[in-house]
Parts: sequence; C-alpha cells; structure tokens
Amino acid sequence: MNQIHNKMKNLIFAVILIVLMNGASLLGQEYERAMETAVSDLAECETIEDLQDLANVFKRIGDAEKEEWLPLYYHSYCYTIMSFMSEGDGTQMDEYLDVAQSNMVRLEDLVPDESEIWVLQAFIYTGRLVVDPMTRGQEYSFLSSQSNQKALSLSPENPRAQYMELANAIGMAQFFGNDVSVYCKEAENLLADWDRYQVASAIQPSWGKNNVKEIVQSCHQNQD
Amino acid sequence: MNRIPYVICLILIFVADPDVIMAQPTKIGGSVIDHKEIPLPGANIYLEGTYHGASSDQNGMFAFETMKTGYFTLVVDYIGFNSYKEEVQLMGNIINLKIILKESFDELKAVTIRAGAFEASETKKSVILKPLDIVTTAGALGDVPGALQTLPGATMVGESGRLFVRGGHSSETQTYIDGTLVHEPYTTSTPNTAVRGRFNPFMFSGTVFSTGGYSAEYGQALSSVLLLKTKGLQQEDQVDLSITSIGLGMAGTKFWGRGAIAAGFDYTNLTPYMKLAPQNLDWIHYPVSYNGSVSLRQKSGNDGLFRAYITYDRSQSTLNQKDPDFPGGVSRLAIENQYIYLNASWLGSLNDHWSLKLGASGTSNIDNNRLDFGKYKHSLRGTNLKLVLSNRIHEKVKLHFGSEFSHKNFAQENRIDAFNNFENLELNQQLISGFAETDIYLSNKFMVKFGGRYEYSISMNKQNVAPRISAAFKLDNHSQMSFAWGYFYQDPDSEYLFYQKHLDFEHARHIILNYQRITDDRTFRVELYYKKYNHLIKFGKSDMDQGVGFNNNGYGYAYGVDLFWRDRKSIPNGDYWISYSYLDTKRNYQDFPYEAVPSFASRHSLSVVYKHWIGTLRSQFGTTIKYASPRVYNDPNQTEFNSKRMPPYRSVNVNWSFLLRQHIIIYGAITNIFGFTQSYGYNYATIPDINGSYDSLPIVPAATRFYFMGCFITLTRKGESNQMNQLE
Repeated sequence: MNQIHNKMKNLIFAVILIVLMNGASLLGQEYERAMETAVSDLAECETIEDLQDLANVFKRIGDAEKEEWLPLYYHSYCYTIMSFMSEGDGTQMDEYLDVAQSNMVRLEDLVPDESEIWVLQAFIYTGRLVVDPMTRGQEYSFLSSQSNQKALSLSPENPRAQYMELANAIGMAQFFGNDVSVYCKEAENLLADWDRYQVASAIQPSWGKNNVKEIVQSCHQNQD
Repeated sequence: MNRIPYVICLILIFVADPDVIMAQPTKIGGSVIDHKEIPLPGANIYLEGTYHGASSDQNGMFAFETMKTGYFTLVVDYIGFNSYKEEVQLMGNIINLKIILKESFDELKAVTIRAGAFEASETKKSVILKPLDIVTTAGALGDVPGALQTLPGATMVGESGRLFVRGGHSSETQTYIDGTLVHEPYTTSTPNTAVRGRFNPFMFSGTVFSTGGYSAEYGQALSSVLLLKTKGLQQEDQVDLSITSIGLGMAGTKFWGRGAIAAGFDYTNLTPYMKLAPQNLDWIHYPVSYNGSVSLRQKSGNDGLFRAYITYDRSQSTLNQKDPDFPGGVSRLAIENQYIYLNASWLGSLNDHWSLKLGASGTSNIDNNRLDFGKYKHSLRGTNLKLVLSNRIHEKVKLHFGSEFSHKNFAQENRIDAFNNFENLELNQQLISGFAETDIYLSNKFMVKFGGRYEYSISMNKQNVAPRISAAFKLDNHSQMSFAWGYFYQDPDSEYLFYQKHLDFEHARHIILNYQRITDDRTFRVELYYKKYNHLIKFGKSDMDQGVGFNNNGYGYAYGVDLFWRDRKSIPNGDYWISYSYLDTKRNYQDFPYEAVPSFASRHSLSVVYKHWIGTLRSQFGTTIKYASPRVYNDPNQTEFNSKRMPPYRSVNVNWSFLLRQHIIIYGAITNIFGFTQSYGYNYATIPDINGSYDSLPIVPAATRFYFMGCFITLTRKGESNQMNQLE
C-alpha cells in the first residue's frame, strides 16, 4: 500500500513539476514567438502606417516585459525609420524622433554595453540632422559620430555600426558636393563581409544589409 | 478506488491556464477619436501587462480578441495625446468602446506670444529665423544689428548703424546678453559714420528682437530690447582661423566633459584696404582695433550651468574733419576707445519647482578723443546685478519674479581749448528694480502673460510702476494671433542728468496686435502697433548751453504696420524674405519748436533678402535689396523745422560663400554694388556767417561701396566640421 502511495506522490510531484516548467517556458516562449513574428514583419513594412502598427506591437511587448531591451530597441528603430520616411516640414520628423529618443534612457539603463543601442542612438542623431542640415549639420554629425564610435569600441565587428559610419560619411560628402565614389570600395567590402558577423538570435538586430546593397548598386550605376 | 485520474484532473485544474479552460474569447473593438470627433489612426490599444491589443486603422477603428479573463486595464496611447486608461472585465463577451483622447500639454509645442517679438532659435520650433539667417544676410557682414535692419520694425539710419525701432531713437533700444544688460553694445566711430555691434554673432544660439511689448523682466527701454543668448556647451575641441581683407582672427575651444572654454583674438587693420578702395573721409591713421575674448561654461550639480564671458576691445583712428563753423579749415580728430565687458551667470534648479538665475555684469567704456587742442575723455562704468526666481506652480502656470540693481558712473574730463580750461562732469545713477510675471496656459491654444515692473532711481529720487499684459491664441495648427500692451519707462539721457538730477523717467505706452501663419517653409506675419510717448526730455534751444531749463514736458506718438513674408520652398534651393514697414510718427522733444517728424523715421521701409545654394558650385549666393523713403532733417536756414528731405535710401548688397574644402570657406561681399549715392542730410554750422545763413557740409557714408573678402578655416580632431553653420 505504501509503495503505491509513494509512487503516487512521485507521479503527482513529477506531473506538477512538468506542468509548472512548461508553464514557465511557455511564458518565455510567448515572448520569443511574439518577438520573432514582429521582427520578421519588420521586413514586410512598406508604409509609415505599417511601421506605426508594428511599433505599437513592440510597445505592448515592451510594456509587459519590463526587463527586456529588444522591444524598446525595435520601438525606437521603427519610429526612426518613420521619421526618414515622413514628408512635409520637419515637425512630424522631430516628433517621431522624440519618441525614438525617449526609449534611450531605459536602454542605457538596461544594456549600457550593448553596441546596438549606440548604433541606434547614432541613427536617431542622423535623423535629427536630416530635418535641417544647414542649421543642425555641425552639432548632430558630431553627436552621431560620437555615438557610433562608442558602438564600434564595444563591438568593432558590428556591421550596423560600420554601415552607419559609411552612411554618415556619404551623406556629408553629398551635402558638400564631394565625390562619393571614394566610398564604393568600402561599401563593397562591407557587403561581402556582412554575413560573417554572427547575430546572437533570430530576434537580435540584423538589419542593414539591404541598405549597403543599395549603396553598392548606386555605385555601379554611377560608374556606367 | 482509483483516485489517480481525479487527482491528476485536480492538479491539471490548479496549474493549468484557466484561460485555456474558458472556450469563449472576449472581443474588444471600437473607435478612437479626438474631442472634435476626428478619427485617430495608428493609436495603440492594449491590455496593460499583456501583448494583447491592436492598432486603430485609417478610420480610427480597431478590433482584437483575447482569451484572457478577469479585470484588466485597457490602455490607449497616441502621440501628442494623454494616455487613456479604462478598466474592463473580460468574460467572453463583446466590448464596444468609443474612446475620446485628450490632447496632451507640451510647453514646447504650445502657443507662445509673438506680438512684438522676432525670435531666432536653434531649438524652438515655429520661429521665423534661425541664428544662421541673421549671420548669412548679405550686407550685414556678421553684424547683428545690421542683419536685424532687414526685419520689419527697424528703420535704416545709415549714418548711425544702430537699431532705430518703430519711430524710436536708438537710445530707446537696450541689449541684453543672457539676461543682463550690456552698456555700449556698439563700437565707437567717427561722427556720422556707421557703428557695428561689438559682439560676434557666432557667440549666440538664440536671439529675440523685440520691437515692443516685451516682458516685465526687462526695462529701461522705451522702444525695444535685443535679447541675446550665448551658445551652450561646445561639444568638441576646435580651432577657427580667419584671414580677411581687413584683418586676422583666431579662436579655439577646449571641451572637457562637464565644461568648455573658448578664447578668441581678432586684429583688424583697415590700412591696406582703405588705401586701395576709394574713401570719402580724409584719414590720417586708418582704423585699427584689437579684440580678445574668453568664454567659459561649466555644468554644476545636476542641471546647473555656470557661464562667464569677458571681452576686451581697443580701437583707434585719426582723420581730418571739416567743420561747418570753419569753412575751408580742417580739424584733426583722433579717436581712441577702450572697452571691457564681463558677464557671469549661473542658472539651475533649486528643487522640483523652483529654479534660479543669478547674473552679474560689468562694463568699462573709455573714449579718449582729441579734436585739435581739445581733449575729451568720456568714461562709462556700469555694474548690473540680477536675480530671477521661477516657479512652476502647475503644469500650466509659471511664475517669475526677480530684482535687479544697476549702477552707472559717467565721467567727462574735457579740456575745451588750448588754455587748459577744463570742464569736469560726473554723474552716478543707481536704479533698483523688481518685477513679477506669470505665464498661464489656459490650454495648448491660449496663453496669457501678465506682470509688472517697479523701478526706483536713487539718483533722481523717482519711482515708477509698469504693468504689462500679453496673450496669444492659436487659431489652427499653423496660425496664431497675439496681443501685447504695457507701460515702459527709461532714465533720461545722462547728457541731461549731468546738469539736472531731478528729472523724471521718460515713458511710452505700447499696444500691439499680431497675426502670423507658418506652413511648410512659408511664413506670413503682420503686426499693427501704436506707441504713445510722454514725459520726454524737453529744453529750449539755448538751454543746452546754459545747462538749465530741462523738463519732462515732451511727448510723441508712433503707429504703423509691419509685414513679413518668408518662403523657403517655392524656389528650389532658394530662400527669400520680404519685409515692409509703414511708420507714422511725430514727437515734440529736446529742442523741437513744435511736434514734428523726427529725422530717424522713414514712412516706408522695404527689404528683400534672397539666398541661393548651388550644389555643383559648392556655393551660397545672397543678395539684399533695401529701400527706405526719404527721412527729414533740419535746415536752420528754413523757417519750418525738419522740413528738408534726404533722398530715399537705396542699396543692393551681395555676398558669396564658397566651400573650398569641407573645412575651408572663402567668402566675399560687396555692399552697395550699384554705387547708389547715399546722402544723410547736412551738418550745419552753429553760428551763422556774415550773411546770416548757416553754412553746411553734406553727411555721406565713409565710402560709396565696401568690398570684403575672407578665408575661414576650421580645424577639429575629425577634420569634418566647418563654419558653414556660422557663415557671415
């Protein structure tokens, strides 16, 4: 009788344990799944409305998962892209960048040594510059460069940081009417080496390859 | 009995997700609108703490399902609006919501009072000018007052070069740097030769040119104030070099995390230039000047900032001057000026609600002039101390109050002839003032500012109280109206106080109405104003020599319309603005025999400023066209006062900036390129000749045209920046 009782207790204990563990990893899996879906949707976004809806998804995840940095990162990333896509005077662009910038404080708190957040900050500063290059050129090109340098010092191989540096240099050259073909070799090398950088997981930032492709394409067009 | 299946069921019930057991999802849907029933697309509607939610579509409609049950908070977020929260109970039912969001209050985006004020700011939105605009205006040559003369409200008085605003004399405008008063902000020059502002426009990140109705924080200016705000922390080490047709300059900045120091030195020598370019004046020693300045910034504590600035200026020149009292003869006039100005301020918050600003400034201006045997040493020493406290009583209510102490010492040591006859004069003026003002935002669209200023002059033993009110109302996203009314007092000129200490303050009353519309790189602004002057200083013609008979019985009025149109969009790569002013003014003050139009007023003033960027040439071209209708001047040979008219003022100025390299700029400018003759009336003799008529000499500018060329180099660690932001 006791043997059966013991076996029962073990069985019950085992069942409880299994169910609880599944429950716990179910929650973790929920986060992973939601993020995976959202991050893959990012590639499909074509309009500001699409990005706004996706940013909202990241915001919800971020609000529920207060210790995760990736939802905040992508929330800011969406708004930064929205700012580059917006037209009209700069007020709307600045508004989007204000939202993007608002996450930086928390991101610096959570993952100060994460190279990607500094690339993001550099991207936001470049966005500010684009709103009014004549007035903001000097201040924001310096700030963007400074943030990007920080990203590179934390992770010298980060292709997004390398892309940001290249994009800033090309932008500056175009504004002053300088020849941009000097940067073509660098863009080609960056594209060739892009996939060598191991991204930690499917939901870690991996954007940028298409942007470099576009640079290389326009280089080839100008050569012909 | 086999209880195992029951037990397992029990366990599963305990630990299993209760949501899975409920089969019915709850459906939440509805619309998101603002108080005007306009749908808000892209709003974020979700259950707090979960991923469950949706975005509203183009019509503001949303719908989502959730398997969760129980009480949850539904959150609705939308950019520019307050977050909305509502408790919902999820029971597998259908929940339909009509959510009305309230616009959030953001002071930076709320309406601000524009009546009477032209603001150039790097950071604020919906300002009409950027500081860059002031500096790149052709004809200004980097002179702040010069550039402001292309804005409505400022009258072009070529023989002076100072700011004359809306029928007021240049003495009715005061300049403030970081809140503290600057004495003698203009350089010294020979009589009837235009002066320049002393301060380098690169120093400033914000400029407010107020043509009337300004805040109770400022006083002692009957017409207007020019508020200059120095730049914040420089972010990187930098060295600037300039080599120009009139001098050399060098400046450096060193940045160290919490602070920065910048120092500059300028040497100007007009000798090589004036020898080449034809001049109207008979120079013996061409103008030479040296200037050195140091500026320091240091962050203190959490959000405190300490700023200090010191500048030293020394200039000299000598010329032969004709005197209408001695026809055929010349007098040798030697001018020497030494100027020191220092300014220190600290601002920061004391706690969550209170913030404090302390400022102190000191000026020493010494003119040592010689006219033949006469030696005239005029000195002004001024000290200003200021304290301002601000309290944010509420998100929408701000209170400022403060007090100021100002001391001025004027001294003149005049040796009037070859016989060592001296005339020494000295005057001390002290003014204690206090002000209180409150900003009330009744909504994002409507704000009111009212306050008052009290001043007591110890030397005159007189006091005054000046109420000020202004309001602004946003009509729609792009346009607004504002209004300002107030009393303004000013000490009489020290010239008169030397002789008579117990005069009273001069007084002006302003009323201003303004409408402006800013859309998509186009700005339209119209302003109507009326000024009434009282208690202006009056004296009879001979009283000035005898030093008696001064009183405050003078009066006057000024009214008009100012129009401004700016378009940065219509012409690709082009940016232009047109400003037009209509002014009607008369006054009876000083030695005027009756109410008459003063000589510093033009009925019509027009400025057209155009800037064009050509990428392939890496250049920006600019031109300024100015016209001002004839000003009056007095001919003592006429019976009617101020009855003669000068010819209209016309000039066309051009400039060109070329980027040789990313960090090297070549700059050229020509003022009055078509060589229009400028004539500013005549200088009349003080004593009639044998025939009883007064002889005269024409007043003309120092040269018909001015040519300028310069090369500006910026060196930084990265070698990427340049002075493009600071084109002059």
